[in-house]
Amino acid sequence: MARLSGLQRDVLSLYRQCLRAVKEKPASTRENFRDFARSEFRQHMELNKKDFGTIEYLLRRGRKQLDTYRDEGIQNVSR
Amino acid sequence: MFRTALLRSARQAIRAAPRCQAPIARPVVRSSMFQAKQIVPAARFQAVRCYSASAGLTKDEVEGRIMDLLKNFDKVTEPEKLNGEAHFHNDLGLDSLDTVEVVMAIEEEFSIEIPDKEADAIHSVKQAVDYILAQPDAH
Repeated sequence: MARLSGLQRDVLSLYRQCLRAVKEKPASTRENFRDFARSEFRQHMELNKKDFGTIEYLLRRGRKQLDTYRDEGIQNVSR
Repeated sequence: MFRTALLRSARQAIRAAPRCQAPIARPVVRSSMFQAKQIVPAARFQAVRCYSASAGLTKDEVEGRIMDLLKNFDKVTEPEKLNGEAHFHNDLGLDSLDTVEVVMAIEEEFSIEIPDKEADAIHSVKQAVDYILAQPDAH
């Protein structure tokens, strides 16, 4: 794998944070949260890595989403 | 007549007494057994921790555990390419998101937390093994 750019590292770091947050969720629905995080990232897999604007926007949105879903009141997620 | 009856009932009462005591005594016995049962897993857990802490990890053991973990990872497309030198991307066909998941699975397996910077540098089985061997906390 080629050396990662700073932005790519940010994306992977957010992905890692999401997967860590999944572990805080109840065991019965953990799988759903994990699949949700996975698909949210995979959805934009084809994005050009030079498309900084879009990636930065998605990063911001992702961080906000992570903050929202981290709330203890959210017990399950479906799509 | 009355005295005989009195004696008989007294004798019965004495005979009944141990029988009465039994249920009273039983909870005591049971609770002590229960306590013992509770202690056993804790002791076993402690033993495992002590054992792994004092024995340390060998390269073969770490490699075996990482390979097992990769074998069970559904994204590995060519399990036959899996060996001690395998590169996550070039050999196993994993992308960067998969690599993050693998590294996190390794964290869980060895009960450590790998900081982002170091996690980003792990791209192959060998790098993962070397990293784990360098961690005194890994077990």
